[in-house]
Amino acid sequence: MARSVVIPSSLAAPNAAGKSGSRLAARLRKLWPGDALRDRVLERVRRRRGSQDLPFTLAYRNIFVLPTWFGTGFGLLLVLTALGGLNFNNNLALLLVFVLGSLAQMTNLLAYRNLTGLTLMAIRSEPVFAGDPLHLQVQLNNPDDRYRYSLELALARASTGDCRDLAPGAQDTFRLSLATERRGWLAVPPLRLQTRYPLAVFHVWSWLFPEQRCLVYPVPAKNPPPLPASGDGRSGSARRGAGDQVYGLRNYRPGDTLKHIAWRTSARHDQLYTKQMETPQEASCVLDFNRLEGRDTEERLSVLTAWVLMAEHRTLPYRLVLPGKTLPADSGPAHRAACLEALALFD
Amino acid sequence: MKSKTVKAGPVNLERFKTPVAYNPMLWVIGTLFVALLPQLASMPATLVVLTLAPMVWRTVAEVRGWKPLPTLLRLAFTLATLVLLVNTYGNLLGRRAAVGLLSVMLALKLLETFRARDARVVASLSLFLCATQFLFDQGMIMLVYGAACSIFALIAFALIARTEAFARIRQPAPPGRGILSELTFGSRLMLLAVPLGVALFLFFPRWGSPLWGLPERSLDSKTGLSDSMAPGSIQSLFMDDSPAFRVSFRGDVPGNEALYWRGPVMWDFDGRQWEAGRSWGRALEAEVLPAREDVDYRYEVQLEPHERHWLFALDYPAFKPPEARRLTRDFQLLTRRAVTDLMTYEVASDVDFLDSPDLEGPLRTMALNLPEGFNPRTRELMAQWRSETPSDPALVRRALAHFNEQPFRYTLNPPLLSRHSVDEFLFDTREGFCEHYASAFTIMMRMAGIPARVVTGYQGGWYNERSGYLLVRQSDAHAWAEVWLAGVGWTRIDPTAAVAPSRVEDGALDALGGRRHWLDYEWVREFRNGMDWMNRAWNDWVIAFDAARQSGMLGFLGVERLDARALVLLLALAMVLTALLVTPWLLRLGRNRERDPVVRHWRRFLERLAGAGAPVSPTMGPLEVAAAAGTMPESDTRDVMRITQAYLEVRYASRAEGRDDLLRDLKRFRPGSNR
Repeated sequence: MARSVVIPSSLAAPNAAGKSGSRLAARLRKLWPGDALRDRVLERVRRRRGSQDLPFTLAYRNIFVLPTWFGTGFGLLLVLTALGGLNFNNNLALLLVFVLGSLAQMTNLLAYRNLTGLTLMAIRSEPVFAGDPLHLQVQLNNPDDRYRYSLELALARASTGDCRDLAPGAQDTFRLSLATERRGWLAVPPLRLQTRYPLAVFHVWSWLFPEQRCLVYPVPAKNPPPLPASGDGRSGSARRGAGDQVYGLRNYRPGDTLKHIAWRTSARHDQLYTKQMETPQEASCVLDFNRLEGRDTEERLSVLTAWVLMAEHRTLPYRLVLPGKTLPADSGPAHRAACLEALALFD
Repeated sequence: MKSKTVKAGPVNLERFKTPVAYNPMLWVIGTLFVALLPQLASMPATLVVLTLAPMVWRTVAEVRGWKPLPTLLRLAFTLATLVLLVNTYGNLLGRRAAVGLLSVMLALKLLETFRARDARVVASLSLFLCATQFLFDQGMIMLVYGAACSIFALIAFALIARTEAFARIRQPAPPGRGILSELTFGSRLMLLAVPLGVALFLFFPRWGSPLWGLPERSLDSKTGLSDSMAPGSIQSLFMDDSPAFRVSFRGDVPGNEALYWRGPVMWDFDGRQWEAGRSWGRALEAEVLPAREDVDYRYEVQLEPHERHWLFALDYPAFKPPEARRLTRDFQLLTRRAVTDLMTYEVASDVDFLDSPDLEGPLRTMALNLPEGFNPRTRELMAQWRSETPSDPALVRRALAHFNEQPFRYTLNPPLLSRHSVDEFLFDTREGFCEHYASAFTIMMRMAGIPARVVTGYQGGWYNERSGYLLVRQSDAHAWAEVWLAGVGWTRIDPTAAVAPSRVEDGALDALGGRRHWLDYEWVREFRNGMDWMNRAWNDWVIAFDAARQSGMLGFLGVERLDARALVLLLALAMVLTALLVTPWLLRLGRNRERDPVVRHWRRFLERLAGAGAPVSPTMGPLEVAAAAGTMPESDTRDVMRITQAYLEVRYASRAEGRDDLLRDLKRFRPGSNR
């Protein structure tokens, strides 16, 4: 059910009373050692539990429950009301408090049930250049025949991430973005899967430590020197199959495009002929780490990265030469990925 | 990697184009409205309008997407409302006033409620408001009210939580399985919470006596008798059908004409109204009490809270029940604290008791005292009667005969009287309600030199044959007179009975005739009275449950007294039991039960095979099982191959005809059974 989202300006600019309140709250929050405490507990849990191989199913030992601020306040309100009710022996007030209290307490089981049994199937990510946000696609599976509501997945140290429902038996992808700083392997940081379903009285969460890493390419140099001229002048073999020069004819085979049918020749004979095309091969360029003197390693890798992108853009075949590793001249996405990976992991 | 921390800011309840049923803010407003209902009914109209106005504004603002009002405007509105509130209630100490303040403030809070946090505060405090309403009324209908408030609040909490979770990623919350299934789920949850709640209710140790009491001045008068009587004060009670008290008699039930329930006794007349407040009779303890062996009636009274100090009993109470502080010389039963909760007490009465054989000194003076300068015509008439009739009893009879023979009328709508009220009543209007007759008669007696006083209380009641108790309603309120005669002491005289004997025999409703309001039919009254046993049972079982009842709760098991430790143990036991019953339902952790019986039995079949040592695992498909069948014992191979083949056809080729056979085979198969 698609719905348009309206975010009114009034809510983006909260009123004055709210602002001063939140300022006070922010100051109070600074005093609250929550974050430091959380980091310490997180570290301990990670050491105790270790990393997790995927797929990983949440069990009771992975799930933590604490009352929320609202839950605490609501509990206090109930206690105060109960004191009043006990003092005046007001039985209806006591009944109200006791039933609501039991109910609020029971939601902790529901919240727990909302998480337990979920399976973290896989984490996928496309490599990015350092500095760009890395997009993690986290696949969660709900193997049971009940709905899971308001599942929030975030990096363990961030407050916002993605939020989804999982229908019975459904699998869905949660999207997270992760800041990158430098090239190389980036280990996926701890994740937090949480829910405040159903009443937000309890906050139930699980820390996930998936054994997974993502590749980050070097930053492409901003103003790289021009691509080096074609290497040693030796021209490579022509690339067959596509291009604009005919190098021969062959019998028509179903699936050949009409554009390439040699209509005149075919008319002279009793069958169809297809023109075979080729692209004349330009000389490939050599992207050589050692030729970039006067720069440090990272800068050289940046320039090489930029060159790979430029060569790929101009569909030039390129050869990457790194100390201890050489990738033969080629072009295309696979070659590009191989070169960038070599650059990312160079040390 | 450096740890980066992102702070969680407050979450706005973003306004998405969600269907009305999913809008958390509307549910919060609804919760507050439901919680306000009884309070609105008791507030003056201006305050009702001022309370509803912010709620209406906020509702429209939510639907139309308006911005919050400017702070100054909100402040001005708040101040105006506060001023009006103080103006209405005088101070803010009274319970009604304090709850009124809470109501108005909650309504005003809506004006600035745009965040999840504020919305939760409003919904939580609405529940608190609901609890405060139980201070005023604990009738059965309030149970429905409390349940409605809770359900509204729970839905609001659930929707806030959901909207908040999705607002963090700036998305509207998807509808999930739909609001109806959520509602069923919520009510089921509520039903599950009830056993635990009831266990807590029964076993949570109660306090024997309150730690703090309500300050006297914080009480707001309820409808009921008061300690003064002016023309019209009892008449207003006549419209009120709420129960005043219920009486169960041990043994004989007196006839209607004997049911004079004694309440406040009035000694002082200031020319316009009667007062009980300053009189001596009230401050003095009764010296001579009826002997216990003379007692005619024993009965238990279940008194509805009236926020006054007196208890009601038939003439003359023979002893002071432990709930009362004093049995006064004019035989009023007074409590130490105002009766703010349902109170049950036992008392006994002696009808023939001789009250005050002597009346001397200040009491006699008080019983004769009248202000100067009022009612000259009556004074003249009394002087004349006194000279003609020297005997006191004869004079009393003459006065009663006067009421009976002259064209006096018993009516609910008497004309208004001015300064010389008794003169006008006796000689001009001759129309009045019981308080007119009682007052006029008492004043006439005092003028003639006979000590007299006014007694207010209730007369009669409706006897419920089935449950065997007497129900006395506010509309049974009555006023009569007492005169002191030498040799017989204080004697009850009911001048109203002289005018309208049916008032005493059949009750005020029959004496007046006509209807008080559009639904005031005989059968409606009969029905209501007949249904009152439910209220009585509710009072008995729920409202009157206190520390004493709690400790005697297991009396039927032979447990005399439950102390706090036993209660806590019982509570723990009950909680463990409920937890054992409820938790598995809530968790239902078992793997998802397969709906298709074929698949279910197929899995069981694989488990059996694996259990018998066959190289089969529960995750294998039918082809793999068939491949593994070759390694099984000869006798099983045939069956396994056949079953696997059938399963393939039924499940993957969707052949329906083999289904029943397959099911039978799957159920019947046991590895090695053919050997």
